[in-house]
Amino acid sequence: MPEDLAEVYRSTYRSLVRFLYRKVWDAERAEDLAQEAFARALVHKPENARGWLFVVAANMARDEARKAARERRHLTLLKSEPGAVDSAPEDEIDAATRRDQVRVALDQLTPRDREALLLWDAGMSYDEIASQTGLARGAIGTTLARARRRLVEAYDTGSEGQHVARG
Amino acid sequence: MSHVDDGALHAYLDGELTPVERVQLEAHIAECPACRTRLEEERALVARAGQLLSLAQPVERPAPPMHQLRRPRLAWRLRVPIAWAASVVLAVGLGYYLGGIGYAGRQPETLASRVSPAPPSGYAYTERAEPPPAATKAPAGPPAERRAANQVVARPEETGDRDAFKVRSDSVALTSGVVAIRPQTELREAAPQPVPGAAVATARPSADLTRERGRLVATQWPIIRPGPARELLGADPVGVPGLAVRNIRRSPAGDVVLVEQAIDSATVIQVFQERAEEEDRAMLFRERAAEPQSAPPPTAQRQRAAGTERLARFIGRLRVEIAGPLSADSLNRLLEQLKPIP
Repeated sequence: MPEDLAEVYRSTYRSLVRFLYRKVWDAERAEDLAQEAFARALVHKPENARGWLFVVAANMARDEARKAARERRHLTLLKSEPGAVDSAPEDEIDAATRRDQVRVALDQLTPRDREALLLWDAGMSYDEIASQTGLARGAIGTTLARARRRLVEAYDTGSEGQHVARG
Repeated sequence: MSHVDDGALHAYLDGELTPVERVQLEAHIAECPACRTRLEEERALVARAGQLLSLAQPVERPAPPMHQLRRPRLAWRLRVPIAWAASVVLAVGLGYYLGGIGYAGRQPETLASRVSPAPPSGYAYTERAEPPPAATKAPAGPPAERRAANQVVARPEETGDRDAFKVRSDSVALTSGVVAIRPQTELREAAPQPVPGAAVATARPSADLTRERGRLVATQWPIIRPGPARELLGADPVGVPGLAVRNIRRSPAGDVVLVEQAIDSATVIQVFQERAEEEDRAMLFRERAAEPQSAPPPTAQRQRAAGTERLARFIGRLRVEIAGPLSADSLNRLLEQLKPIP
């Protein structure tokens, strides 16, 4: 029997937005995609709505990333002026910098490790992550252990690099 | 029990061990100082990774009410009723025009008109808009060169490719797909206001369609709601995600759905879509069967015909064409982005 989609919406919307945000790195876009995923679920009425939503969301984010990459290529041809971050308040710059460092660190994970970590952080269980990624359930703990370690190491290495560059 | 591996420690910390596994692990930890130390290290790692991820999350905003998702886009909600009203205005306006009132210089605010390829049925204004050829007037508004600059020509039937799709006689105008769209200087998103007389039907026999190509647009097709469009197509209509939907229309013969989307106030693209023929579906069957069940967005199959592949493709069970005042390259990119509009 299909899950109650309203309940899934209530419990999953935010984590889906968060999951998407770490893929498209644009809050509004992440919300749009999450809403679109739910709108599709209303039409398709999938059996396992939660899992379905994350698959659809991941697909949409992947398409989005490809599109963004194309647009970036176009933009770099069009403009070369520096960003307008200079005028932002100090703490906003810090927050943005830290977020970018996390983003860079996440990029250094293998796609499978990153996916498992983001799904876990979005509130999925090991069983759900296993069915989502195709990994054996028994491998999820090891995958997450490796993903977490690499994330922290990559972040710390990136931060040190920053400090050296600033200092 | 041998030492506990990282995976088991993380599964333990994540609360994902079975009760039996948990008891075994705790028993081992109680006796093994090395594993106890590692457990604490891994606990710190889990916390640190979680903290780093929390640095990279969007500002949380409340979810919109779910019922809003039933009609996914604001554009749909606003435009469809307005479009209904607009079509009434358009009908009245046509009658006004055909009553003998000229409109030179007044029309650039709306889309150009489309020749109805099949005898329109059931629409008072289209029937009235079919005077003898004497009444066939080219819109006199914009300078010819400006109009030419905004015309997009798609002529799949001229490629002669055998893989090209069958075209029913009543959809000739669709597949010959020439569209003239003029800049809309006034048209605001929330208030499309057709100017009386703006769209003129110049019904002609199909044989003349090629000559009329430069002025074929589908603004005279009846506007329909998403529901009927879905029924007509047997699937969700497709469009460019994120673009406002201006109107959904159907061909007079009822076999083609047109989704009009605004890129900006002056640029409208048209996405023609119809159910793919049986043989087309058969050709696609292998592709679709290969898709994982869990990936609902249908994979599109590009048309193979060399001359037409840039402007038409399959999306699920639909054959889709795109037209608009953009370069073929841009249209092609938009074509690739088309997705079902839920």
